[in-house]
Amino acid sequence: MSGGIGILNVGAGDTKLTFDKNNPAELIRSARIVTDMLRRGYALLIEVPGKKGAKPTYQRVHAFREDTASYIIADLDPVQAAEADKVESNAQGQSGEETTAGAAAEPTAESPTPRLKPGRKTRTVPASATTGIAVARSAGG
Amino acid sequence: MRVLPAVSAALFDPLDGMSGLRNGLRAIAAERGDWAGIPMILDGSPLTIEPRYPHAEALSEYGRKPDDADDELKDAKVRNVFWSWRYRTNVAIWNNGDKIEWGLLGGPHGLMMALDTLKASDAWGIEQESRAVHTLGSLLRHRPFKQYLLTGMFMETSPRSGVHYLFRKLRPTVALSSRTGDTKVLAALCMHPIGYYDGSWAGAMTPTDDVIAHLMLMRGDEAMLWRRCNQHPSFSKQAGL
Repeated sequence: MSGGIGILNVGAGDTKLTFDKNNPAELIRSARIVTDMLRRGYALLIEVPGKKGAKPTYQRVHAFREDTASYIIADLDPVQAAEADKVESNAQGQSGEETTAGAAAEPTAESPTPRLKPGRKTRTVPASATTGIAVARSAGG
Repeated sequence: MRVLPAVSAALFDPLDGMSGLRNGLRAIAAERGDWAGIPMILDGSPLTIEPRYPHAEALSEYGRKPDDADDELKDAKVRNVFWSWRYRTNVAIWNNGDKIEWGLLGGPHGLMMALDTLKASDAWGIEQESRAVHTLGSLLRHRPFKQYLLTGMFMETSPRSGVHYLFRKLRPTVALSSRTGDTKVLAALCMHPIGYYDGSWAGAMTPTDDVIAHLMLMRGDEAMLWRRCNQHPSFSKQAGL
């Protein structure tokens, strides 16, 4: 099985790193580049298979394990998290706190999705089993 | 990492006067480990680069004219800036010594931004854009991809927030909400990986790479998309609406 990640690149359009278990040299090189990209603040968005037959989703990679060539992501389903937010927001509304309709689901500049905090559950995805895109640090236009 | 086939590169080189510089920068970037490449510098189109990107300061300084601020206003302190519907521009109020003064801030004109975007297109190559379009094609279903090829835009709704995003080539992504029944524009989201050419809608990367960056951040980390973007109101020229 072979996975890969495309890097958005100025001069080359897109370049692709591959994680092929049958090609250890390339696998080690790709793993080092991914680690370096995360260190430099790149956003790596990978396709994550849905649980129990659900549709695959994309999630941002928080860390990478070079020894096993696997991505570490937050273990959450974005749709389930949105529903959880809604329940929480309704509970706040009932308890008399000020809320606006749909405020839980509309993203703001602050944070619509929970961030990965210490102690939060994580999930490991083998790099050879998924594809994704790496985006460099960006400037707001 | 896939390398551009020599035949493909050679095909466009005689037609594109900038391809030599572009290929040179690509080789240097690969050598130095700048995985996203080195932005093209263009005469008359200064770049704004994300400050932590390698050599951001040097790249941003190239071609930038010195600040020609009025000496009379060098000690002025801005008190407030706000949008005026009457003048359809921003109004600034500042302290100049003991006096309080005000004036209209000239924003960028839409036509000038379009022309500057056209000028910045020298930075991009057809091969790079072609590769980006192929990548985008692998991320979209047939209909939105066809819409993108034919109109330069497509729409996708976030399953997380329910916000509709109109992704556009060379224009900010428009975030729309229909939660209250009426559809309203939340903001025009502008962001470019690495950087952008000042006063234009052009990013350092090819137009479709910018669209991919917006799309992937929306899908993978919507909060990060909003954090990284400049959020232009729908009436501003920068929103491109």
